[in-house]
Amino acid sequence: MTAPVITPVETTDVDGETDLDKPWKVIVWDDPINLMSYVTFVFRKLFGYSKEKATRLMMEVHTTGKSVVATGTLEKSELDVFRLHEHGLWATMERDT
Amino acid sequence: MSPNFRRRFRRRRDGSVVVSLPEEEREALAEFLRQMRELLVDDTDPSLRRLKPPARPDDAESESEYRGLVDHDLLQTRLDAIDLVAGGLDGATLDSEGVGAWMQALNCLRLILGERFDAEGIEPDIDNRDSPLVGVYHWLAWLLEQLVDAATPNLDG
Repeated sequence: MTAPVITPVETTDVDGETDLDKPWKVIVWDDPINLMSYVTFVFRKLFGYSKEKATRLMMEVHTTGKSVVATGTLEKSELDVFRLHEHGLWATMERDT
Repeated sequence: MSPNFRRRFRRRRDGSVVVSLPEEEREALAEFLRQMRELLVDDTDPSLRRLKPPARPDDAESESEYRGLVDHDLLQTRLDAIDLVAGGLDGATLDSEGVGAWMQALNCLRLILGERFDAEGIEPDIDNRDSPLVGVYHWLAWLLEQLVDAATPNLDG
């Protein structure tokens, strides 16, 4: 298994804040294909979540259509999304507003 | 499909997982993996879309940058997983990396099939009579469930 070497692209906004200062959230979306047990397993494996937390997040995806499964820097979120995609989950990231 | 419902993945006490597939399932899986590998390398089949969903759907420029960074690695990790699985169909003993590769490969096959059903208007949980591929899809789910069951105690540390 490999992981990408991702160099964060740092951009400066007019107010001087950088992208890296702002938290990002990683969202997993519901899809009809992935198995519930597998999704729970992947959350535990990738994020080290307890069985209870991973199951709760999986159920949130299943019942509400999506769940924020992690937050962090741009760099960390890009890696999280990559690893979720690697495992076949439908993940996106966006700025946490 | 085989009437033999013996477990295909068994966890050993040291945490490794032993694969034991009947011959007809080994042959079927080898063929599906071969076809999937071709599809991935060729990279034109529309059903592959599901394997690389947009990371930044709200921002086309960032998305394009992201794809440039990861697409090669995403493909390579999948090809590596396929090769590892294809090389161990005869009864491998899987460490955690091997378990990950098997999960990834089995799930990738399901995603490609699921995306095709979607395009063809087939609902695999309902219309499961006419398409032999629907049977394959459920068989892959059955295998993946067993592998998840076998490997889950390793997460409990």
